[in-house]
Amino acid sequence: MKSRRPISRRQFIKSASAAALFTPLLFSGQERTASLGSGKSRVILVRDPNVLDENGLPRQAVVQEMLDTGLKALTGQPDPQSAWKTLIKPADIVGIKNNRWPYLRTTAEVENAIKKRIMEVGVKETNISVDDLGVLQNPIFQKATALINARPMRSHHWSGVGSLIKNYIMFIPEPISIHPDSCADLASIWDLPVVKGKTRLNVLVMFTPQFHSFGPHSFNPKYVWKYYGLLLGFDPVAVDSTGLRIIEAIRREYFGDDRPLNPPAKHIAIADTKYHLGTADPEKIELVKIGYDTGIFV
Amino acid sequence: MPRTQRRNPSTPFIVFMVMIVCLRMIAMSETVSEFNKILPETIDGWKKAGPPGLYTPETLSTYIDGGAELYLSYNFKTALSLKYKDSAENEIAVDIFDMGTSYDAFGVFAHSRETIETGFGQGSEYAAGLLTFWKDRYYVSILAYPETAAKKDVVFKLGRVIAGAIQVEGPLPPILGLLPAENLLPESVHYFHHYIWLNSFYFVSNENVLNIGSDTPAALAKYRQEGWTFFLLLVRYPDAVRAEAAAVQFRQKVLGGAAEGMRALKEGRWTGLQCHGDLVSAVFNAPDTETVRAILAKIKE
Repeated sequence: MKSRRPISRRQFIKSASAAALFTPLLFSGQERTASLGSGKSRVILVRDPNVLDENGLPRQAVVQEMLDTGLKALTGQPDPQSAWKTLIKPADIVGIKNNRWPYLRTTAEVENAIKKRIMEVGVKETNISVDDLGVLQNPIFQKATALINARPMRSHHWSGVGSLIKNYIMFIPEPISIHPDSCADLASIWDLPVVKGKTRLNVLVMFTPQFHSFGPHSFNPKYVWKYYGLLLGFDPVAVDSTGLRIIEAIRREYFGDDRPLNPPAKHIAIADTKYHLGTADPEKIELVKIGYDTGIFV
Repeated sequence: MPRTQRRNPSTPFIVFMVMIVCLRMIAMSETVSEFNKILPETIDGWKKAGPPGLYTPETLSTYIDGGAELYLSYNFKTALSLKYKDSAENEIAVDIFDMGTSYDAFGVFAHSRETIETGFGQGSEYAAGLLTFWKDRYYVSILAYPETAAKKDVVFKLGRVIAGAIQVEGPLPPILGLLPAENLLPESVHYFHHYIWLNSFYFVSNENVLNIGSDTPAALAKYRQEGWTFFLLLVRYPDAVRAEAAAVQFRQKVLGGAAEGMRALKEGRWTGLQCHGDLVSAVFNAPDTETVRAILAKIKE
């Protein structure tokens, strides 16, 4: 792992405030309004090297600050509470779709940070649930009016990467049915009534993304990279596409040559070209970068 | 007086025990679950924890969710999974996959290896707490995260037990023997028979442009020559008709019908293809047409 020059908290807050200041209020938080008036999808990348403690575990306070900063930049609101009010109403029933793969989870810190702000909007705690494998049996998810999609990005033996698009695979009764052709049609899930139009925010956790898979359990600490990042956006394809660029850049940096993911993560491009779920084209993505910029790769 | 042979009274017992061990070895080669009997109950303070798991193609995804498809694409048969735990509930996971043939055991091992190591079985790799190796038709993984020196020692001991219990070595896929040795990076040699793995080093296509399937063994390898890196793919078809059909499709979809079966694609790097009998050979990312021709001419048909 390469050493990184830390950024000061003052620099972080300064750049975050600047991003929020110049962000027009264009979003309602619904999938259908994921694009800017310019036709571009906005993606926020927030990085802070202090997010990981000496054991490599996330610090709750820093995670909260990163999420708040990112959401302010995404919504153009001056504070996290007003930002969340553009996404969630007090009467909403909210499912936070996480990913609990044992080696690289969404993390409780990210889940807690999201849940805290949703409760501040006025949503009852009994109307919020965090789940992964049990979403189809979970009564909150069954009657959810809003979904928050949050997971880490990692290389994947079959779909190229585990992505935000892929995170909804547990909303189908037989996930294996979407596996043919390296999960090319994952975006089709987003058209199912159980999720369609409900996703208010996508959070791609890039604290320690895994950039290469090795062995039957796919994980090896040798192939995770301390990136200290969070990616946020309304357009899951744009966020995934940006995360994928970062993973590919890390692979080039680590392996010293152009090493494509094996297999390629074609479900992200197909989510754009076939299912029109969002845009995967970097030319159509407005990437707002906030915070630590060393080794940013994008 | 005829000399009588004195027999050791324990001889029948020894013979009996040898027979039991032999039978166990034979049985072990019949079913992967027999490895559970070979592996020690305790080792350096670590104890087997719980009953072992036995998985089939239908159930493997319940164990390695998301990763099962890789093994299924290599004709996975059965897997044994067992855990060792120490007094602090740290875990070492042992997974033994019966891939049916040594070809597929090699294929799944080579899929993600980065180096050439020979410490265990017919090829192994150790990285940060994970040992993988293959021998005969078995692919073995022993995982101990986070890595410590003590855990690594136990992982290696268990690896030696398993590798030692597999009595024979298996042959490599014959198609690998066709790869020219000059400038070959041996750690890059891949074997597969599922089109998904066509893009392992170089993105060729999202489609199955060479009609690769379960009856078309393929080899893919990386070459480095004078600073240039390029890739050679070999696919063996059941007959020349299918080989030619695949070649025609590739020329149309990838080479755009280019003359001589060669075309400059990404960043001026050359892709070329030839079809001889039932063998299709393709070169990707070559610096020039001469390199394409030279490597194709060296294929040991």
